[in-house]
Amino acid sequence: MTQIYRPAPGTPVEELDTPCLVLDMDSLDHNMDVMASYYEGRSSKLRPHSKNHKTPALAHRQMRRGGTIGGVCAAKVSEAEVMVHGGIPSVFITSEIRESLKIERLCTLAAQAEMLVACDDADNARDLSRAANAQGVDLGVVIEVETGLRRCGVQDIAQGIELARAVQSMPGLSFRGIMSHQVIPAMPEREDRVTEGYRVIQGVIDLKDAIEAAGIPVEIVSTGETWSYDVAGEIPGVTEVQGGSYLVMETGYGYMTDFHYAGKVLTTVISAPRPGVAVGDAGQRSIATLRGMPEVEGRPGVSVESMDPDHVVFRVEDGARLEVGDQVALIPSQQDATVSRWDRFIGIRDGKVEAVWDIQARGCHN
Amino acid sequence: MERPVFQPPGTPVEELDTPALVVDLDALERNIQTLQARFQDSSVRVAPFVTPHGCPQIAHMQQAAMESRGRIAVAAVGEAEVFAQSGFGSILVANQVVTRSKIGRLTALAASNDVRVAVDSGPNVSALSEAASAAGVTLGIMVELDAGLGRCGVAPGQAAVELARSVAGSPGLEFQGIMAIPPVVDSDTRLQLQPVLDTRELLEREGLSCEVSVAGTHNYDVAASLDGVTELQAGSYPLMDYRYCQVRPEFSPAAKVLTSVISHPTDQSAVLDAGHKATGPDRGTAVLEGIPGAAANRFSAEHGVVDLEESAVDQLRPGDRAWLIPNDLSLCVNQYDFIRVVRNGKLEGFWSIAARGRFA
Repeated sequence: MTQIYRPAPGTPVEELDTPCLVLDMDSLDHNMDVMASYYEGRSSKLRPHSKNHKTPALAHRQMRRGGTIGGVCAAKVSEAEVMVHGGIPSVFITSEIRESLKIERLCTLAAQAEMLVACDDADNARDLSRAANAQGVDLGVVIEVETGLRRCGVQDIAQGIELARAVQSMPGLSFRGIMSHQVIPAMPEREDRVTEGYRVIQGVIDLKDAIEAAGIPVEIVSTGETWSYDVAGEIPGVTEVQGGSYLVMETGYGYMTDFHYAGKVLTTVISAPRPGVAVGDAGQRSIATLRGMPEVEGRPGVSVESMDPDHVVFRVEDGARLEVGDQVALIPSQQDATVSRWDRFIGIRDGKVEAVWDIQARGCHN
Repeated sequence: MERPVFQPPGTPVEELDTPALVVDLDALERNIQTLQARFQDSSVRVAPFVTPHGCPQIAHMQQAAMESRGRIAVAAVGEAEVFAQSGFGSILVANQVVTRSKIGRLTALAASNDVRVAVDSGPNVSALSEAASAAGVTLGIMVELDAGLGRCGVAPGQAAVELARSVAGSPGLEFQGIMAIPPVVDSDTRLQLQPVLDTRELLEREGLSCEVSVAGTHNYDVAASLDGVTELQAGSYPLMDYRYCQVRPEFSPAAKVLTSVISHPTDQSAVLDAGHKATGPDRGTAVLEGIPGAAANRFSAEHGVVDLEESAVDQLRPGDRAWLIPNDLSLCVNQYDFIRVVRNGKLEGFWSIAARGRFA
């Protein structure tokens, strides 16, 4: 490919062409260490979600650092392809895969790696079974259960048991377990997160108990994410936690103070047209703003006033200074939706480029 | 990068792998003709602002609709580089370029292309002049005025005249004119642009002959007939989006996201395989097309949840297709690397969004 911007290792951060997406390597290492030290020696493990970074090199780093189950989650078949081709031995697709084109691709991957897939419907299970059987592979099926998100999933225990039974009887499929995903409003107090975590995850445990009471072993109970990493991880019965946001981090998870902001977008001031106003060269095409404007790092008195697709407008309070040519680091409110706009990460340590990674699964929506 | 299944031409659109960014060629051609027709008897030139679609093939269609090939406009140097490689030799970077590295890339482009760039500060003029002289090239300069957007640009009037004068006296630079991006608001474009046109008169009186380049699609008919305006930078009109179609109903949305139902967990809801990442929701979420009683009300990163009422309760079964109209074109296209081009419901091919991600 032509003209891909790939700064050489050792390039000082202030010389980078902007906007660019950088990863603070110390923070990245710290975030992986927090997870590793929590999950090492526990029966539950982390299965990092690769939809957040979409980068096999980072998935390998997460796994090497420890505390993981030795595989990752992915949201889409094409994302899973990138991970399997990148050498990840086990991938759990946490969405329902329904179309024959996609199911064929999924089965092809199952010949190369352990593949698990979410399912909430017997018709879908039959399609998966037919394709897996025809290709001579085994697909691990994980039944998704609704626990408050009002999205996909079987709606109650009876449906869950019925589907587990059906899957168990289908050739080409192995019933492996159950999963559920939960979102909560920001809860800075761990005590509140523990209460809320136990409350929402109880539905998953109830289903596990019911399926096992029906005589079907449940090997995998996958639930939780960054906000509940230290709650779900200690609930008896939970075997893996789907954490993703913790790695790159975002201000939306700012209340999870165990983790540090690693992902930032660097922008350069291109215009300072009036007192109190400056304009930077990063816009909404490069930073997700649906959950709020990004925060300005380390410049007291400077904040983001507004953004459009190609610009950020800064408000500069009296006494603060921001001049044309100045570089500003922005911390996004949402990391995965920001990362999915970029083709590469630039890893920074001690103010210099340490590594450049292609975000290989960017754009993998299908 | 996106990993599309390259299905053969002729594939019915409803069989395309999803989510997919699909462009209807008939609608695209109609939109281009609708805008261009307004400029048939006008001396104003259209400079397609190609950043929102990032697709050289569409830019070529925009230029083919004109009497002679003209200038295109982009937001970033990286985009200018991509379009220059795709055969566009006359490019306005409608933005300020201030760092040494990027100015170097700009002058490199100017060695074999006609390159213009916007400025709004004296030090930037000096930096551009120095670099252009050192490289032995000429950069065309457009002085940007703030016509009410509150973003970049000097104030119309004397400040602009002084900056234009310094450009005219700088080696390596050629003062070409002034540009302004008026805000999309429900007010009179003529009033918004009057200070810009007044500034032009001041400049002409000083002996500085001066082009006037203004944006965008929402102003196209006014700009086409406004004395003094010479160029319209318009970006949305070929593909359009939901938001723009509300104020410019003579165009229709040509780019939509095709999505599939992956779950129908209750009678009242269906879940689509397209969420934030496949639609670009930051300036408004995508709108579900044409199913009475059904509305895509909740999106998350990878999913869209459709609420089903009344006659829609039994619709959108797993495997069914649905269309989402992006609210903001540029933020939606930004999420893809390929456009699936269709005509009469059949796939014609895959067009590369070659400038995607070239923000720098």
